[in-house]
Amino acid sequence: MKLIKHAEIVDELNRLMAEEMEAFLRYFQLRYRLRGTERLAAGTFFETAMQETLEHAEAIARHIRILGETPHVNVNVEAGGGPLALKDALNEALVFEQQALEAYRDMLPRVVGDPGLEDFIRKQIATETEHVQEITMLLE
Amino acid sequence: MTETWKEFEANEVTHSVAHHLVAIYEVGREYGGWARVSDIARWLGITRGSVSINLRNIKARGLVAEDDRRQVKLSEQGLKIAQAIMAKKAAVKTFLRDVINVPEEQAEIDSCKVEHLISHSTGENLLRFIKFLTSDDPAARQALSQFRKSEEN
Repeated sequence: MKLIKHAEIVDELNRLMAEEMEAFLRYFQLRYRLRGTERLAAGTFFETAMQETLEHAEAIARHIRILGETPHVNVNVEAGGGPLALKDALNEALVFEQQALEAYRDMLPRVVGDPGLEDFIRKQIATETEHVQEITMLLE
Repeated sequence: MTETWKEFEANEVTHSVAHHLVAIYEVGREYGGWARVSDIARWLGITRGSVSINLRNIKARGLVAEDDRRQVKLSEQGLKIAQAIMAKKAAVKTFLRDVINVPEEQAEIDSCKVEHLISHSTGENLLRFIKFLTSDDPAARQALSQFRKSEEN
């Protein structure tokens, strides 16, 4: 029984890591769809977001290692499209940030009682909530 | 040839959209048609982020509806398309597996590749052909038998 739970948690962590890696790739590509002053204005925002998503993926990978497993990367993303207005880019970012937040929220009940993981997931929920709020505010 | 290509381009759904519609149908079966993004993602083996991004286009085309908890359900049109795709896939798979002896796994893969590309009438004709070939009609039995013998040679 314990083994099944362990495998399921690792599986979920791998999925969360994939969410973060995909978000990194989407932010990476979204920057190049912005044009002119919008690109200039939002460049730092997207670069910070890229940095953070990579840090999150790295933190998740470390937790997988702590559980005695090796991270399994399964990323299948296709990001295309032409020039995009900043507002539309932020709307797209909001979609995947909301999903990341919900993924962490769904994960929380499964790790309650595991001090390291529970603390980590709670922190991630706080961070992702901030991201969602920040983007929502920018879109107002 | 040009006309065929135009028809391909004008097709109602892409491979990705087809998979999403079928996933929503399958996942939602136990919940009155409603499916959560997380379950769709799991069914498709992709991330929630990708599902959400893809759903934006599908929603904009009126193929799915969304509730205030961000669960999605096929619209009438979406349901029709999903059912048509599944029917065509079943017909192609049956033909590949039961008529021309393609192994189950390969039949699944190949039927998946063409399920959304063939027209409704082709799907219907294919089904009629399979029904005929697998019927008790002596001509059909003989044709199938001859084909199987030719495989052995």
